[in-house]
Amino acid sequence: MAAGFPFPRRGSMRLTFGLGAAFIGVFALAPALAVLVLSFTDIRGLPFLPVNWVGLQNYAQFFSSGHLDYNLNAIKNTMVYAVISTAVQIVVALGIAVLLNQRLRGHTFYRAIVFLPTILGVTVTGLIWSLIFNPNSGPAASIWRWFGSSPAFFGDQHMALGLVIFVQIWSVVGISVVIFLAGLQGIPAELYESADIDGANGWQRLRLVTVPMLAPSVTATVLLGIVASLQNYQLAYVLTGPNNSATQLLSLAIFSQGFGGSATSGLAQSQGYACAISMVQFVIVAIASFLVMTYLKRREARL
Amino acid sequence: MSARPGVRPRRSRRAKPLRPASFSRALSVLLLLLFYLFPLLFLLNTALKSNAAFDGNPVGLVTRPDFGNFVTAWDRGDFAAYIGNSVVYTGAAALMGTLVSVLMAFPVSRGYLRGSRWWQLAFVLLLFLPNAIITQFQLLLRLGLYDTQLGYILIMGAGIGVGPILLSGYFKSVPQELDEAAAMDGVSYWRYLFTFVVPLASPAIATVFILQAIGVWNDIILATILLPDSSKSPLTLGLFAFQGTYTSQWGLLAAATMIVAAPLVAAYVFLQRYLVSGALGGAVKG
Repeated sequence: MAAGFPFPRRGSMRLTFGLGAAFIGVFALAPALAVLVLSFTDIRGLPFLPVNWVGLQNYAQFFSSGHLDYNLNAIKNTMVYAVISTAVQIVVALGIAVLLNQRLRGHTFYRAIVFLPTILGVTVTGLIWSLIFNPNSGPAASIWRWFGSSPAFFGDQHMALGLVIFVQIWSVVGISVVIFLAGLQGIPAELYESADIDGANGWQRLRLVTVPMLAPSVTATVLLGIVASLQNYQLAYVLTGPNNSATQLLSLAIFSQGFGGSATSGLAQSQGYACAISMVQFVIVAIASFLVMTYLKRREARL
Repeated sequence: MSARPGVRPRRSRRAKPLRPASFSRALSVLLLLLFYLFPLLFLLNTALKSNAAFDGNPVGLVTRPDFGNFVTAWDRGDFAAYIGNSVVYTGAAALMGTLVSVLMAFPVSRGYLRGSRWWQLAFVLLLFLPNAIITQFQLLLRLGLYDTQLGYILIMGAGIGVGPILLSGYFKSVPQELDEAAAMDGVSYWRYLFTFVVPLASPAIATVFILQAIGVWNDIILATILLPDSSKSPLTLGLFAFQGTYTSQWGLLAAATMIVAAPLVAAYVFLQRYLVSGALGGAVKG
């Protein structure tokens, strides 16, 4: 409560703020809180069936021997996906941003090209890469054949997750590049000049001037990256389907447990159990993001 | 255009005819272009092959372009309608979310509301809410909005993500004295917000709009859950269903993907300056 409200009527501000808050409350916040409540019930996809309290049964089921392997696998995949896609994406984006920040001819064109997949959307991106990694007749298969192997790519248990991460990075790196480019243009040229006077080489300039000065952009990108990689199960769904154990992410598990993987087959699924998965994911995400953000903020303050 | 603090070649190397720095730079750019353009060109190449040509040589360069795939894909998929649906969903939901972000972020960033600091915290917590696809489905079911375009737009519009955080940070760069001066001149709160603050914060507002639009445009899971009627499908879902129907008919699938991608790329050529340039980076102080 810093300054007083200078306008004549506080009511108009309260009205629009309240409408906004109510909208978010009803369609985002209430459903999110209800996940916790419903995770203690046996609610199903079919409407108007009786809903009963079942206590911790859904959580017990999550950790029961019948489901534990499936769920641990999904947890492991989620962690790998989030960590690798965020980390690699930031390094790649930084490299591309530094490259494009030099006064190259046509740099706006290159920047536009890197951002393009964002506009094309997940299905177009998914189809393009399914075509390229098509095990029977794609160009990737031809390259692999030179080395005497013919993997199934997205159908290969050992490759699928890596390939999905690769496509994810291809398609979202443009957003980070644009954020980094904006950050790079805010770095005063004098810093590079004094680095030159001190005899810094290219790597030292990058490490000692560019990266520290970009710290706020890095924090923003990491935050966006974590949130995106945890919600971005769209690509895994498009490329490998909802029930592929190699790319089974927790969020996809929520979808396939709650809806049976498609809209029509899932109306009798146990959505209470799916809510319990959602809560487990929430706890993992909350801990991971809290640790990462604390570390980055502290680092940012130190630089 | 102000001078950009680019990396300049070092003086000692300037005399040499071929500078390794600029050579490796050119190579990097070439690799980058190849990495992004090859998939698109390969898609076009596949789309122009008849079934016989694809079976004969799936990878090779097309010799006699055949547009039959485009005709078939256009006849069998309802792509114009899907694109129309996606544009409506994306525009409406991102507009709604951006408006709500502005209305909530401004008073909070100014401390005009009681408990502003708590709201600030709430904006961050909003990012980390549990995945609510189940409960959003149940909510729409019970409100009678299941399988309606309005219901889908409301759910997607409420997914405001980083919007309020970015905006409340940016609004602080609008001097508070301006509020007082405007109020002194008898400008009402709403008029002040929309005719003074919004234009001043337009880079950040554009960023918030674009980020949310990207999210809606790329959604396929919520559309699958909330819109079972295929005539309401957005593009992502429509093309995905098409892929499910014509599995492994790569020429046809590639043509369908081209049909979908072409208007997007065309629109992007005109819009990219606004989408990419200052806008997206504008809100993050670097």
